Amino acid sequence: MLSTLKLTLVESLRYRGFLGQWSWLAHRLSGLAVLLFLIIHVWDTANATFWPEAYSYTVEIFKWFPFSVGEIALMAAVLYHAFNGIRITLLDFKPDWWRYQRQSAIVVWLLFAVVFAPIAISMFSRTMNHCNTLAAEGLSCWTFPTP
Amino acid sequence: MTTTRRFERQSNFERYAFLFMRLSGIALLLLAVGHMLLQHILRDVHSLTLQAVQDIWRSWGWRAYDLLLLLFAIVHGFNGLRQVIEDYMHDQRIVRVTNAILLGLVIVTILWSAVAIFNFNPDAVMAVGE
Repeated sequence: MLSTLKLTLVESLRYRGFLGQWSWLAHRLSGLAVLLFLIIHVWDTANATFWPEAYSYTVEIFKWFPFSVGEIALMAAVLYHAFNGIRITLLDFKPDWWRYQRQSAIVVWLLFAVVFAPIAISMFSRTMNHCNTLAAEGLSCWTFPTP
Repeated sequence: MTTTRRFERQSNFERYAFLFMRLSGIALLLLAVGHMLLQHILRDVHSLTLQAVQDIWRSWGWRAYDLLLLLFAIVHGFNGLRQVIEDYMHDQRIVRVTNAILLGLVIVTILWSAVAIFNFNPDAVMAVGE
């Protein structure tokens, strides 16, 4: 199984496909990344009901600087997966449009860049604000929260 | 003389799975992207606390929104994982076992979280929160 995984990763990078191959890889990796966060997030949020003390603590871990940066990556994954998903759905139901498959992949990457850039700047500045607020209290957003 | 051919009746499962991925994808475009923009742009996750959850889940509208998001996202995500695994696993026995595990995880996750959303008591938490 590990050899299959290694083969997949190596061959995905070695395969000299066109743009569609990178869209396919990005769609797959972003989907898996979002699912990983989703599972953690859903079980953590359920704690708000079942174990409120634990929730109050874990929500602080989400504000830890490396995690905040991870959330910007999560935003990127969700946005790319959403936009590329629309493209896949449109092409699945409109086979006539397959001739534009290359152009549509470029449109998705451009749309993603245009939408994600301002959101990323906003999220990063909020993160820096949070760090500055903590710094004013003599604390650091780099310190891993303790219960 | 007639020739009889035996063939296994094809299940429609993959056809429905295919349709579900597209339709839930459209729903998630609103629900999931909406949730991300709401939490990170309109609100600020850095001010997220148990108190904030109380304010949001006091409304049954937001609970319904989160329940829909939960259902679509978990099923969409786990079905995607199933497809990825089936691409790389060729031993049908292992595929059947992993699929059974994934289905179990889907059911347990949805039940646990749905019970959490329904049973959340915004006033009871107030005492614990601070």
